[in-house]
Amino acid sequence: MNRGLLAVIAVVAAAGWYGAHQLVSQGNPRGASGIRVAVGETSPPSAADAIPTPVPGALPAPRIPERIPPFTLPDLSGRPTAISAYDGRSLIINFWATWCAPCRREIPLLKTVDAAWKDRRFQVLGIAVDRRAQVASFAQKLRISYPLLAGQQDALDVAAAFGVATPAFPFTVFTDAHRRIVALYLGELHRPQINLILGVVQRVNDGHLGLPQARHAIDAGLAQLQAESAAG
Amino acid sequence: MVRSPRTRAWRTASLLLATVALAGIVGARPWWLRGVPANGQDFLPPDAAFRVSAQLDGKRVTVRWDIAHGYYLYRNKIHVAAESPDLIVEPLTLPPGALLTDRYFGPQEVYYRRVEGHAAYTRLDFGAHPMQIKLTYQGCAEAGLCYPPIVKVIYPTEMPAAASPVAAPGTQAEWFLILAALAGFLAAGLALRRGRALPSPGL
Repeated sequence: MNRGLLAVIAVVAAAGWYGAHQLVSQGNPRGASGIRVAVGETSPPSAADAIPTPVPGALPAPRIPERIPPFTLPDLSGRPTAISAYDGRSLIINFWATWCAPCRREIPLLKTVDAAWKDRRFQVLGIAVDRRAQVASFAQKLRISYPLLAGQQDALDVAAAFGVATPAFPFTVFTDAHRRIVALYLGELHRPQINLILGVVQRVNDGHLGLPQARHAIDAGLAQLQAESAAG
Repeated sequence: MVRSPRTRAWRTASLLLATVALAGIVGARPWWLRGVPANGQDFLPPDAAFRVSAQLDGKRVTVRWDIAHGYYLYRNKIHVAAESPDLIVEPLTLPPGALLTDRYFGPQEVYYRRVEGHAAYTRLDFGAHPMQIKLTYQGCAEAGLCYPPIVKVIYPTEMPAAASPVAAPGTQAEWFLILAALAGFLAAGLALRRGRALPSPGL
């Protein structure tokens, strides 16, 4: 075999090996190039898909009910408890989770509120979106004195029934003595905010304020607190 | 100046569009507060608070989170895993985070503004499936709101062409194969012809 032929065969082998190696190691078929990120989609995006830019407030608005929706969740012993068991009281329904730091921070305040407002027929009720055993051990450690219900998907369903379909914690629903929702507070509660809301709910219960006026008073009061806080 | 009816129609349409767009911006309130008496905090939906994207960069995937002002992600809650078949993704390498000390949970490493992580990957499917990775992450707003762990399946992008001046490796490989095929054809021709005289055209 002449040298020229050997040289050509060597070039063929080297080029073939290199090409095949590149294709295998990249696993990069032509069809995969130009793919753009499509966050949260389950089907392959087209080349025209762009990185989505979420716009605050662009999500479909949920409907928060006028009254507490009927629901039943297990308490920490596993016994199903209907929300109707608390009829006749103003409820402070606190949705929380054990992994959530602000939820944990507001628990001492909720314990104080429960003790201070009990004789005025106010009741704090915690709904933990978490595993029951975990919630029980957590409640024991923190000596939570008010009743707790716990669940996972079922508790998320209850959160959705209150209009919070994409959950974020904590959030707290305040009702009057007739199961009407007066306010929904999203985020960690502090003493000035909770005192303001409870004072307004008390005036609703006493017949001094209608619901629209109460809601307006809460909105205005919270805005003022926020402005004061921003002013330092 | 006289304008044609067509120009006027365009102007009217543009004004209408601008009005609608402005109304959308002004009226944008967090969805969970609309029509409800609640606190005035403007919390963002989780996808706006933590925007995630992923790019393929050679043999590793780079995942990036753009975190809105006033929000943070927990370092130890960020994970990546393979989602498409025959894909192996190594654990994500993340830079050190800022230290946030919580009264109850103690010191936690968190990220503000932006974080990028890298993970090596191997595809064993020779590109048969679109590559998908599964990301898990969790974060909060400094104002006191936490989102449950977010799980997202995403398709990483290719690195933009401008970022790599040389041809894409896939294209380079194809050229080598074409060259090999041509050279093979030439070699086969030479081998068959060896020792033989070319037949005359017989004109």
